[in-house]
Amino acid sequence: MREVIWHGRGGQGAFTAARLLGAAASLAEGRFVLAFPSFGPERRGAPIRAFTKMDDAPIGDRSASAQADFVVYLDDTLLDEDWQRELKPGGSVLVNSARAYDDPRIVSVDADGLSSAVLGRPIPNTAFLGALAALDDRASLADVHEAVRLYMPEKLHAKNLVIIDAVYAQFDPARGGTAAEGDPACAGLVAGDPAGAAVAAEGDLARAGVAGARSQDASGEGALPVGPYPAAKPRPVSRAAGVRIPTLRSGSLDPDYARTTCFEAGYLVAKNAGWRSLRPVIDAAACTGCLQCYLYCPDGAIFKASAADMAAPPASSQAPATRAPRAATPAQAVFVDYDFCKGCGICVKACRFGALFLVSERQEQRETSEVAE
Amino acid sequence: MSAKRFLSGDEAFAEGVRLARPQVVSAYPITPQTVVVERLSEMVEAGDLAAEYVHVESEHSALSCAIGASATGARTFTATSSQGLLYMAECLTYASGGRFPIVMMNANRSTALPWNIYGDQRDSLALLDHGWIQVYAENNQEALDLALMAYAVAEDERVQTPVMVNLDGFALTHTYETVEVPSPEQADAFLPPYQTKNRFDFEHPTNIGFSAGPEYNRYFKYQEHQDLLNAPAVIEEVEQRFAQVFGRRYPGLVEAVQCEDADYVLVTLGSAAGLVRTVVESLRAQGLRVGLLRVRYLRPLPTVALAAALGNAKAVAVLEKDVSFGAEGTVFTNVNSALQQAGVRVPTYDFIGGLGGDDIMPVQVEAIFRTLVRSVSEGAEVPRVSFLGIDDTPGDAASAASPKDLVSDACRDVKEAN
Amino acid sequence: MPLNAKTIADDEFFFGHKACAGCGASLVVRTCLKVLGPKAVCALPAGCMSAVGFNFPQLCFANNSMITPFAATASVLTGIEAGLRAQGKKPEDCTVVGFAGDGATADIGLAALSGAIDRNDDILYVCYDNEAYMNTGIQKSSLTPFGAKTTTTPAGKNARGCLTQKKNLFEIVAAHGIPYAATASIGYLPDFMRKVERAGALHGTRYLHVIAPCPTGWGCAVDETIDVAKEIVDCGLWYLAEYEGPQTLAEQAAAGEPAAQGEQATKGAPAIQPDAASGGRFTLNRNPREFSSVEAYLRRQGRFKQLADEDVAAITAARDAKWAAMRRDWA
Repeated sequence: MREVIWHGRGGQGAFTAARLLGAAASLAEGRFVLAFPSFGPERRGAPIRAFTKMDDAPIGDRSASAQADFVVYLDDTLLDEDWQRELKPGGSVLVNSARAYDDPRIVSVDADGLSSAVLGRPIPNTAFLGALAALDDRASLADVHEAVRLYMPEKLHAKNLVIIDAVYAQFDPARGGTAAEGDPACAGLVAGDPAGAAVAAEGDLARAGVAGARSQDASGEGALPVGPYPAAKPRPVSRAAGVRIPTLRSGSLDPDYARTTCFEAGYLVAKNAGWRSLRPVIDAAACTGCLQCYLYCPDGAIFKASAADMAAPPASSQAPATRAPRAATPAQAVFVDYDFCKGCGICVKACRFGALFLVSERQEQRETSEVAE
Repeated sequence: MSAKRFLSGDEAFAEGVRLARPQVVSAYPITPQTVVVERLSEMVEAGDLAAEYVHVESEHSALSCAIGASATGARTFTATSSQGLLYMAECLTYASGGRFPIVMMNANRSTALPWNIYGDQRDSLALLDHGWIQVYAENNQEALDLALMAYAVAEDERVQTPVMVNLDGFALTHTYETVEVPSPEQADAFLPPYQTKNRFDFEHPTNIGFSAGPEYNRYFKYQEHQDLLNAPAVIEEVEQRFAQVFGRRYPGLVEAVQCEDADYVLVTLGSAAGLVRTVVESLRAQGLRVGLLRVRYLRPLPTVALAAALGNAKAVAVLEKDVSFGAEGTVFTNVNSALQQAGVRVPTYDFIGGLGGDDIMPVQVEAIFRTLVRSVSEGAEVPRVSFLGIDDTPGDAASAASPKDLVSDACRDVKEAN
Repeated sequence: MPLNAKTIADDEFFFGHKACAGCGASLVVRTCLKVLGPKAVCALPAGCMSAVGFNFPQLCFANNSMITPFAATASVLTGIEAGLRAQGKKPEDCTVVGFAGDGATADIGLAALSGAIDRNDDILYVCYDNEAYMNTGIQKSSLTPFGAKTTTTPAGKNARGCLTQKKNLFEIVAAHGIPYAATASIGYLPDFMRKVERAGALHGTRYLHVIAPCPTGWGCAVDETIDVAKEIVDCGLWYLAEYEGPQTLAEQAAAGEPAAQGEQATKGAPAIQPDAASGGRFTLNRNPREFSSVEAYLRRQGRFKQLADEDVAAITAARDAKWAAMRRDWA
C-alpha cells in the first residue's frame, strides 16, 4: 500500500490535497483509495494531518497511517526533529520551503513562492500534487488534472493546473528533474491577479489559512506592520506572582483520573505556539502602556509587566531602532506569551502607537536552529 | 419509630425520598409519575423536606438541573416516565458518564405510538445501556426502601453511578397498600450525608465533564464498566446494613423463590413477580416443582445469580412487558446471555405480555408453566417468543381450559416425565 | 473606579484554549471571567467554547467549570446555583454563569433559558453570538442575519444566503420581565465589561447578548475581529442597549440609584418609570447621530459577498425601521 501523510495548518488545504491525490489515484481501474483528515477539536491555524492511502486491493484499515511513503509538510515550521518517525524506509519528505536540506530524504518544493506568484497569495497545497505526480506512480499527471477538474471549483482550475504543471516539470524524471537539484524558480509564470486570489482549499474564503486570511493582500495595501526579526532575544519575563491562570504541567496523570470526569481546573499539557506563522513583537521604545493589545487579545497571550519587570531597564530594545524614542518613554508595559500566542495580529491592529509589529516565525525558527547547531 | 400507612407507590416513594433528604429536587410532571412530584412539593412547602424544588420546564431540564446540582456535591432527585424518560435520554449519559449519583424514579409506562399512559417496561428497557443502575420494585414497600438504598449504592465511592428505580405504572404507582414508613432518625442512621470529590471546589477549582479524545476515552469507559461490576458487592453490603437498621432483608440482584429444586422456572421483574409468586405457591401446593426468579437489578446484570438459580431447571420462561422489535424481549436476551456465559444449557422461552397496561392473569401464568412442562415431557414445539393474548400458546389454551384442568394436566405431565 | 484595561484583574481564567486565531467568542469568555473573578462557576454547552476549552487533559478554565448537554445551559446553571445554595456553599462573590452560542441559546436551548428566567434563577446567561453554528462548520441558526451565506444557506442561482431575519432575542428575553438584560459587542469592550460588572452585582436571572465575530465563518481576516465587531455597531446593524426589569427598578428606586448609563441618565430623571409592557425599562447606551455604511460592513465579509444592491438596500431599510422604533421607545 502506498501511503501519504499530509501535515498542514487548519485552513491550508492539507485535506483538500489529500482528497485530490486520492481522487486522481482512484481514476485508474482496479485502484482502491482512502483519503481522510485527522479529526480533532483544534481550529484554524492549528497543526493538522490528513492521509491518502492507495492500494490495488480494498483497504480495510481506516485508521491513521503511522508511517508513509511520502510525508508532506505544507508549512515548514511543522517539520520537527522527529520527522523520521513517520517515514517508511525508502520514503521521502516533501516540504514547502525554498531552502535546501542536508538530508537527501528531505525534498524542498517552493510551494509558497510558486502559489504566491500564480494565485497572488501562498496557498501551497496543489503544488505538492505536481510533485507527487512526478515522484510516485500512483497518480499520473493526467489523472491529477482530471481530479482538479472534477473536484475543485471551476474558477480555480486554470491557475492550479499551472502550479501543478510547473512543479511536475521540476521533478519529472523524464526531464532529468530531481528533488535535490530542483530549481524552485517559476520562470515564465504570470503573476496572479491579487484581487481574484484563488483559495485552493474549499474555494471559500472562510476556510483559508491564517496567513491567507490576514488582512494583507499581495499588493501590500492594508498590510499590518511587518518588521525584520529583532536582533536581540526578548528578555525572559513572566506574569506577576499570584496571577491565577491555567498553567502548563508536566509529569504523568494520576491513573485514578478516569474514575470521574472531574479534574483539576486550568491543567494544560500543550502550548499553542505551533499555530503561529507570524509573531507579534513589541517595540518597547514606542509602547505607551495603554494596554489595548492586552485588553483585546482573545487568547490572553499578552500580559502586563510585573512591577519588577517594569523597574528593569528596557534592555536593548527588542526592535530595531526605526523610530526615535519618545520623550519620557515608560518602561515596556506588556509582554507576549509566545507559548500561547496564535499570531492572529489583533494586538497589532489594536496598537495606535505602532509599537507592535509582526515578524515571520520561519525566520525565528531558522535562527534558533542555527544557535542550536 | 416507623409508622404503618396506606399509600400508593408514588406516595410511598415520595416518603422514601423525603427520608433520603435530597438537597435539590427537579422534576416535570408526567402520568403516572405526577403524584411523586406533587407530594414532594407539599413536603417542601410544609417544611418536611429541606430541598430546593426546581420547577423545570421539561424532563431534559429536570435531569440537566440535577446534573448541575450534583456537580456541586448536592444530593439530587428527579422522577419521570415513558416519553419523559425518552426526552431526557441524552442527559442520562451525561449523568452516568459524569458519575453523578443521581437517583431517579421512573414510573414504567408504555411508549407512543399509539399513545398510551398505562404500564409496561419499554421505556426503561429501551435505555438499559445508558450507564445507569436499573432496579425494579415489586411492591410499594420495596419502592420506598429502594429510595433509601438507591442513594446508598449510587453514592458509594466504589460505584459512583446514578440509579433508576422503576415502579410499574398504575400497578404500583397508583395502587395503595400498607407500607411501613421509617422514622427520620432510622433513615439518618442508615444514610449519611453525601460526600464526594466529584464536585466544584472553591479552594481547589475543578473542571467537570470535559471531552476526552480517542487516546483517553476508553479509560473513562473502562472505569465506568468496572465500577458497575463493583456494584453487586456494594448492593449486598447496603442491603445488610438496611436489614440491621430497618429489619427488612432484601435478597440482592435477584430473588429466587423455590428455585433450588424447581424443574420449571419463570423469570420476571417488577410487579408481575407478585402474581407469579402466588401462582408458584398454588402450583407447589399441588406438587408441581416450579419456581420464580425475580430480577431486581437488570444493570448491573446479575450474570452469576441468574445462572445459579436457573442451572438446575429443565425449562425456563421469561415473562416481560417489553419487546425489542424484530428481535425478542430485552430481558430474554439478557437472561440468555447470562446462561450462555455460565455454560448452562436449558431451553428458554420468551412470553411478552402486559403491553400498554394489559392485565396479565393468573391463568396465563399457569399456562406458561404448563407450556414449559409440555415442552419437556411431550417435546412440544414452543415458539421462542410468544405474545400473551395473541399467540395460541398459551393464551388460547389458557382461556379454553379452567385453572383446575390446567393444573391437573401439568401435574400429569410432570409425573410422566419422571 | 470604572473597569478598563488598567483596572481589570490580571488573572486569566480562560487560557490555553484551541479556538481559532482571532476568535471573537473566546474574547467574550476571557473578558467576562476577568470581570467576574475566581468565584465564578461556568457552564458551557456543546459548542465552540466547550470544544476548544475542555480537551482532557488540556483544561483551559482556571475556575470551576463544566460542560452541559447542548440544550441545557440554563437548566444546568439552575442546578449549580440551587446545589450551592442548598448546601450553604455559595460564596458572596460567586456568579453562576453560562456561555452559550447563538444556536445553543436562540434555537435548541431557548426553552431552558425561558424556564430559568421564568423561575428568576440567580444566574447570568451570556450568549456569544457569532450568527451561525460555527462548531459544526457554519450552519444557519435563528440568529443568522438575512443574506448571510452559511453551509446550509448557500448562495446560488436561486437564493442569496439566509432568507430569514435575525431573531430578536434581546427583546424576547426582556419580555419575560427579566431583572437585567443587555446587548454588547466585543468591538466595544469597555461597555461590555461595565455590563458584566453590573450583571454580576445584580440578583435573579441576567442575560447578556454579545456580538462575537467569527473570522472563519464570517469570511474576514483573523486580525479584523475587533474592527468588524465595532463596525456592526457603528453601522447600526447591532445596538448597545440595556433592559432593567421590574425587580431591578424597584431595588434602584429603594436605593435611590440612577438608572442605567444612557443618554437619559444624564438628564437626571429622578423617578424611574417603566417604559415596557413587562414593567421594565429599556436604555439605548449608544445613539449615534450618523451611522457608518451598512454596505461597507457587509462587503468586507465573505458571507455577504453575493448580496445584490437591493439586498443591501433592504437591510439598510430594516435597520432604519428598527432604530426609529428604538429611538421612539427607548431613548
